[in-house]
Amino acid sequence: METVKVKIADLAVLRDRGILITVGLGSCVGIAIYDSSNRVGGLAHILLADSEQFKNKGNNFNQAKFANTAIPVMVKEIEKLGGKPGKSYAKIAGGSQLFDFQKAGISVGEKNIEAVRNTLKQLGIPVKGEDVGGNHGRTMRFFVDSGRVAISTVGKGEKEI
Amino acid sequence: MDEHQIDSNRLDVLKELANIGLGNAVTSLSQMLGEEKVDMAVPVANTVPLQDVPDFLGGGEVPVAGIYIQSSGDVRLTILFVLSMDSATNLVSSLMPGVDGELDEMAVSALIEVGNILTASYLNAISMMTNLQLMPSPPEIAVDMAGAIITTIMAEAHMIDDEIVLMKTTLNTVDSEVEGNVLILPDYGELEKIFGLLGIS
Repeated sequence: METVKVKIADLAVLRDRGILITVGLGSCVGIAIYDSSNRVGGLAHILLADSEQFKNKGNNFNQAKFANTAIPVMVKEIEKLGGKPGKSYAKIAGGSQLFDFQKAGISVGEKNIEAVRNTLKQLGIPVKGEDVGGNHGRTMRFFVDSGRVAISTVGKGEKEI
Repeated sequence: MDEHQIDSNRLDVLKELANIGLGNAVTSLSQMLGEEKVDMAVPVANTVPLQDVPDFLGGGEVPVAGIYIQSSGDVRLTILFVLSMDSATNLVSSLMPGVDGELDEMAVSALIEVGNILTASYLNAISMMTNLQLMPSPPEIAVDMAGAIITTIMAEAHMIDDEIVLMKTTLNTVDSEVEGNVLILPDYGELEKIFGLLGIS
């Protein structure tokens, strides 16, 4: 089966079959969006919440880096493959705090989760499953034939969302 | 390329900055291990695409122990000492004979202390040579996927350029089979400051 690796600040979409995988989510958040009726899915791996400081660059920056820009771009890609945003749902994972220093104030991980939720809400895409927060890293495998998302960790096993 | 263009002369300066502290750090580690011989590779300074940084540590999903320290003072640098799980347990059993296997609380404190001493000696050497004031933060440790550790640190330090400047070296102990990578990353916007303070235009 086709497996597409999504790096940091990267996104990819597939139709009908294949696995989208992103490894080593720490404070980053992985966002899987799926239209099950048309079997079109996308996966993004965002590093930070907001592209605010790039706003004077227009679209001339890597939009997959930020929650508020990556998700709309991915939704457009899903539409190009025949998916319908109105029929889609999301599953999200990541946004953890690996280090103790992050406990002071709101961590990058928490900001990322919040920005992802807000952006999905604005686009009217419900969150159907999630595995977020905590203090451990995650790898996300998204099976585009079924919409199944598997989360694996170091020493904490694997689970499905 | 982002706003932080860097030519090969500047990369040489960074490599030299990494190199200066080496002798000191190697000596400290060797002392901690009862004068065991420690080898250190010549450091490299590189610009690496943001997306490829986890591969620099052997792949994003590989479990590692990462000890993280940040310098404050004149320049904000992020220093990350990364050990494979085998190397981490070998290091702990060399430091505390009789203790092996799991990375429990005591083992983790020992690793943090190694990170502390290595980094302090490293930053001291750079401070003495350059007159830059560099103070280490208390070390933090995470035992997790390499990719999760490095990307969390990059996000915290707001390293958002598409190209990341990093210095890297590898150190090996001869008998106790410990191999560790030391990664030094200038925080976002700090490169110009480094070159300015060193009088390099």
